[in-house]
Amino acid sequence: MRESVKDRIFQGALTFLLMILGGIALVPLLTVIAQSFSSKAASDMNIINLWPVGFTLDSWKYILSDVGLWRAFFITIISTVIGTALALTVTALMAYPLSKENFKLNHIIMLFVIVTMIFKAPVVPYFLTLKGLGLFNNPLVLILPHILSAYNLAIMRTFFKQFPAEVEEAAMIDGCGYFQILYKIIIPSSKAVLTTVGLFYAVTIWNQFQHPLMFIQKTELFPLQLKIRQLINGGSDIANIAAVANVNYTEGTLSAAAVVFAIIPIIAVYPWLQKYFAKGAMLGSVKG
Amino acid sequence: MAKKNKAAANEIKLPKSRTSLIHNIKKYWPYYLMVLPGVIFFLVFKYIPMLGSVIAFQDYSVFKGIFDSTWVGLKHFKALLTYPDFRRIFSNTLILGLCKTVLIFPIPVILSLMLNEVRNLKLKKAIQTAVYIPYFLSWVIVGGLIFDIFGVGGLFNNIRNFFGLNTLLAMQKESWFRPIYVVSSIWKDAGWGTVVYLAAISGIDLSLYESAAIDGASRLKRMRYITFPLLVPTILTLFLLSIGSFLELGFEQVFNLLTPMTYSVGDVFDTYVYRVGIQQAQYSFTTAVGLFQSTIGLVLVVTFNKLANKFSDDGGLW
Amino acid sequence: MKWNKTITLLMAGTMAISTMTGCGAKENLTETTQTSAVSQSPGTNEESGEGEKIVDLEVWNTNIGFLEVKKDGPLYNLYKDMFGVGIIQPYVEWNGGTTYQEQLNLKIAAGEMPDMFLPVNGMEVDLAKNGALLDLTDILPEKAPHLWESIPQESWDVIRSYDPSGEGRIYMIPTVIDYPLMCGLIRQDWLDKLGLSIPETQEEFVEVLRAFKNQDPNGNGQTDEVPTGGRQEARWMDHLFAMYGIAIWEGYPQWDVYDGEMTYAGVTPNMKDALLFIRGLYEEGLIDAETLLNDKAGWEGKINSDRVGVYYHWAQSSYEYATTMFNSIGVKPEWVVLPPVSAAGYKGFYTEKKVKGIQWVIKNTTDQEKIDACMKVLDAYGNPDLREQFFLGVVGEHSAMVDGKLKRLPDDKKTMENLVFQPGNDISTVESIVALLESVKSEDIAWAFDQSIANVKSMPQYGKIIAGDGIPNSVYDGYPDIMNRTLYVEYASKIITGEYPIDKFDEFVDKWYASGGEAVTRAAQEWYAKTQN
Repeated sequence: MRESVKDRIFQGALTFLLMILGGIALVPLLTVIAQSFSSKAASDMNIINLWPVGFTLDSWKYILSDVGLWRAFFITIISTVIGTALALTVTALMAYPLSKENFKLNHIIMLFVIVTMIFKAPVVPYFLTLKGLGLFNNPLVLILPHILSAYNLAIMRTFFKQFPAEVEEAAMIDGCGYFQILYKIIIPSSKAVLTTVGLFYAVTIWNQFQHPLMFIQKTELFPLQLKIRQLINGGSDIANIAAVANVNYTEGTLSAAAVVFAIIPIIAVYPWLQKYFAKGAMLGSVKG
Repeated sequence: MAKKNKAAANEIKLPKSRTSLIHNIKKYWPYYLMVLPGVIFFLVFKYIPMLGSVIAFQDYSVFKGIFDSTWVGLKHFKALLTYPDFRRIFSNTLILGLCKTVLIFPIPVILSLMLNEVRNLKLKKAIQTAVYIPYFLSWVIVGGLIFDIFGVGGLFNNIRNFFGLNTLLAMQKESWFRPIYVVSSIWKDAGWGTVVYLAAISGIDLSLYESAAIDGASRLKRMRYITFPLLVPTILTLFLLSIGSFLELGFEQVFNLLTPMTYSVGDVFDTYVYRVGIQQAQYSFTTAVGLFQSTIGLVLVVTFNKLANKFSDDGGLW
Repeated sequence: MKWNKTITLLMAGTMAISTMTGCGAKENLTETTQTSAVSQSPGTNEESGEGEKIVDLEVWNTNIGFLEVKKDGPLYNLYKDMFGVGIIQPYVEWNGGTTYQEQLNLKIAAGEMPDMFLPVNGMEVDLAKNGALLDLTDILPEKAPHLWESIPQESWDVIRSYDPSGEGRIYMIPTVIDYPLMCGLIRQDWLDKLGLSIPETQEEFVEVLRAFKNQDPNGNGQTDEVPTGGRQEARWMDHLFAMYGIAIWEGYPQWDVYDGEMTYAGVTPNMKDALLFIRGLYEEGLIDAETLLNDKAGWEGKINSDRVGVYYHWAQSSYEYATTMFNSIGVKPEWVVLPPVSAAGYKGFYTEKKVKGIQWVIKNTTDQEKIDACMKVLDAYGNPDLREQFFLGVVGEHSAMVDGKLKRLPDDKKTMENLVFQPGNDISTVESIVALLESVKSEDIAWAFDQSIANVKSMPQYGKIIAGDGIPNSVYDGYPDIMNRTLYVEYASKIITGEYPIDKFDEFVDKWYASGGEAVTRAAQEWYAKTQN
């Protein structure tokens, strides 16, 4: 395809602008990384910008030498993998009928779902309900409350709605049942939305804090975010006398290292997922 | 509740008789089976605890429980409405809610359209990854960073001093609070917001672009007349989903940017509830404020859903 | 196609898991109800070697990130050996008390109140009102005589005034202290370097600040000194308010008698004058420009990087700042107590409270075994002979042998269990604090500890016990914004930064009284009258 000069300038300008925006977006991460490698003195003086000052690995050594952190890391990985798979299953199952006009309860159920997004349960009844289900100090609490979200359901439904009806009708004539249509036709050609929604679920479960905070009081069941909070719980003035350790880190540098530790895996997975967002991905698979 | 259901029922033309529902179940039973796990989930994890919202009409005490706490009617709603600073909180919330809807919501759409124009695939991937990273940093971290940027010796004041302006501590200036709220929202979340739109763009039939190019449509025109219209259903869905939480501005963000000097423009329902309700364990009051916010949210969603259904065929959420 | 297969596999797998977890949840439900039934009377049927029953108690208090205290763990065993009661403490996030309070309330709502715990934010009065607390009036002197005697009678009298029924029953164990805890701390080495002496009048104080700002006391050739300052919400700068005879505690205005009436210090003319003075300092750049923006880390960072001349904090903790600065940049600061300075027409003092707060309440129960176990714990907690052992914790975990003497190790959240009982900090006197400091002191940093010891010893002369000593938070019931001092902080901050003219203070006072201050003042005055009898 030939491009006109105007188009090239247009694209070039946009690309340039996006590169600047991308650079600005990287500032927070770079700062946090710089802090995690900086010395206590530099952190106290608050002089760290995008580059470590008084380079040291002490914060990282402290963080990474904690056995509990690695345990929490694996708990989080496992719950994220299982939780995302479960969530995608439940969401896809529910989104498919809801995208069909010939499903009579379509609209009522959508309203029923949206209401849960707007009206939230008060904290005490919520706690008592989940505790009543046996989810207190139970690792399942890291997964079960996250296997379905109204938001993700609505997104998936919108995508399913745009799926060409003719393909389904053809499959129906070939003798496919509804479950088979979902598995064999809809799912394989909805990589983009499944990846998106899966990513949303994964990030929710990975970053979850409120549920474990409320429901988990056994340190050996802590997920990553809660463990990190335990490790770098600062900001309180507690008047206890104790010896001062001669260390080269502060709450700030430790928290920076912990934050980087926690977001690297979830950031690393994104470029790998990007191929499912490639242009025409959906169409290609429908045709093939 | 019954009233709302009825209203909804009128609008969406439910089957007139029970037989047609039974008929529908018989014909499409797999659909009913498919939604079952989800419906159970919402009942167990959302609706059952939601019944506890009745504590908004009680003086709920953790010692007595829901069944034995005293009923006080609308006391907590009255307390909210007669709170001396109610007007201030309400208008702050409305203004920030408007900022969120008008200024912040469209940015991911624009960003996605722009990203779609980058031809070098590697560069595109790199930019995409870069813009979505800030989403993963918590507001505590980003808030701290913003305080640093606007602090003495921070980037903002270095630039000011470079141009011969004196040091300005923007975080304690009322007039700066809203711009900082908007810009920091965009900075942190807009990149992440593109994920859904990029997924939608990936579903667009390439042949549409090809034929448009043959017709001599410029890039900008193709963006305007092909990509954007095909994004509309997704935009509508996300808009309707976000309008329901119009009055919820993200406690973490506001709380981490707020100082006593900016209360007058930044104190919103979420921070007020935190201060008065959560810190003091006033569960009934907290719930009452939540119901107030949710009811407004529901009205907005229902209204806009109607509009969406009118504006584009079947564009609403239900 | 590959995608196809993975998806099908995942779906099949998750289906299997979901059915499994479906059953699992049920099993778990019965399991947890069983365990919780056990934990409600944990370990009562367990017998120790001598055939004596060991009762386990669930005890909650502050944990800022240390490990939980588990049954049969090292700390559990230490406590068991010390006083024959098992102590269990789950990990509950503290978060300035907010998350802790939420978790505690959730547990209470679930009917699983801990046996013994630290109440926060004034919840103790509400607990007592609901009959949730054990009445200690009679059993404490009998069964925990050590604790009964280690806390002065006047403090018990204050606790009696907390009884919501007005009958003077005791439901709470307070934390007490016999000297003013906090003060301004000034860099004596800076003063010496500049040839100045400790300021005694307000004019001298301001002159010292000017000298700190302009004469480069840290000698780095830059005017980066911050003469004094504080933290956000006008906290930790009480030394400036103290000059005007204001009762104030970490930035929270207190109750004291002004003009013969019990009054909230935040709405007194003293406060207006103090704000005007601080505003002048701010304008002149004598207090940190970021005073009202600093968080804990930010302000401490400035202090520890050799830039701050005067800060306000605990007298006992100056060694922490001194060693931190020495360790990170090699400067040996000399922090000494800044005696309270008086503004013209006022008598300055550091606010002193005998009752710092409520440390423990006991769950109401008829289970005699539990009551006896709690009393054993409290008696040991109040026993001066056991203080050192409480402080040192588990040998090899919290402390270690150094030169033939047991020394407490620096805190390490990765390896140490949370030391639940810290009577040395909770029931403190000049002697007990000095003893703790002496016990921690080691040769290489003796200089820093000696500063702290001297500071603590000098404190008693600088305090004034305020009339609102021990006032229960319940006087604020129904007026959370008054308790949070929301309005005060907003006006004070804006007046200090010059955003508001000083006249706005009068508007604040009117607004404060109108938005609940009146009712709160009445409650405070009633409480005061009660304690005067």
